[in-house]
Amino acid sequence: MTNLLGAASLCFIPGMITIIIAHGLWKKVAVYDSFIEGAKTGIKTAAEILPFIIAIFIGIEAMVSSGAMGYLEDLIGPVLEKLGIPRELTSLILLRPVSGSGSLALVERMVTTYGADSFLGNVASVMAGSCETVFYVIAVYFGATAVKKIRHSLLAGLVGYGTGVIASVWLYRIWEWH
Amino acid sequence: MMNYIWGGMLLIGIVFAAYRGVLGAFSEGLMNSCTEGVFFVIGLTGIMAVWSGLMNIAKDSGLIDSFARLVRPAMKYLFPNERNRETIATMLMSFSANIFGAGNSATVFAIQSMVMLDEENGHSPIASDTMCMFMAVNMSMIQIVPVTIIKIRSDAGSTNPGSIIIPSILAGLVSMVASIWVCKYYERKRRK
Repeated sequence: MTNLLGAASLCFIPGMITIIIAHGLWKKVAVYDSFIEGAKTGIKTAAEILPFIIAIFIGIEAMVSSGAMGYLEDLIGPVLEKLGIPRELTSLILLRPVSGSGSLALVERMVTTYGADSFLGNVASVMAGSCETVFYVIAVYFGATAVKKIRHSLLAGLVGYGTGVIASVWLYRIWEWH
Repeated sequence: MMNYIWGGMLLIGIVFAAYRGVLGAFSEGLMNSCTEGVFFVIGLTGIMAVWSGLMNIAKDSGLIDSFARLVRPAMKYLFPNERNRETIATMLMSFSANIFGAGNSATVFAIQSMVMLDEENGHSPIASDTMCMFMAVNMSMIQIVPVTIIKIRSDAGSTNPGSIIIPSILAGLVSMVASIWVCKYYERKRRK
């Protein structure tokens, strides 16, 4: 099963390219010219999101390198424990919504510290595998639009995130027990 | 909203850094992170150009049209107001790229979907229902095979690095249902 899914993932990019080019040629589309035309808009979009990416990067860095993040961890750790979430996961829970690469580095450290097949290591892995970088996504995606009022999208993301975190811990407990 | 969150992050950071006496490291971190941001976008630019180019071919050949028609019924529940076939196809490409672990490509498709939705929204400063729902689904859309995490686990000597796949998928689904529910709740509330 895992191998099958892995193979499907491996084939995604080459598969898409094959289908698009082959279908284009079959329909007699000037594929090269069409590609260039589209690529131009792609580069424009990339340039447009740059300021938003820089803004979110420095915002996150300010919280992490100043130690404010560490203080928040001490603050919410006890609350999480009441929900059945081990305190050791607090920093991951706080870091994950803002930084994909940062949280992966943290998972790596947790897996090595607590052991590759330990409960904490596994729950950390499940969490990183099932919860998204909410703040980052909102900043960057809306950055490409004229939107100023994001309405309920942040709430939807955070509720989903919170549910995902709790589900990761409890589903893993059930999974291990069975 | 973003003004207070972002402004708050920076100001709180500065206060903490000053209090803990790490202002030097703080400034250095800030300067490094903006360079990192630029490199990240440079990396993304190439992929963005490639997928935008390929999607343009698919648009010209009519592939997007047929693809969108095929998935319309499934997308209709989530995005009842969405009529534009190209947008539907781009959103779906973003979901699929996410599922198959092509993270950067997924970001590219998502940003492009948002640009299209913005146009349909008349560049309004208020996010549309479709935008919110798209974000909600996108944020909880997960990779079927989290390759990086599996690699981390196998490097650390796990006996079964793939054992986290099924719990991850389940937890991701639970989280997605919760996000969609919040969106549907607000859509209904607004219509009343």
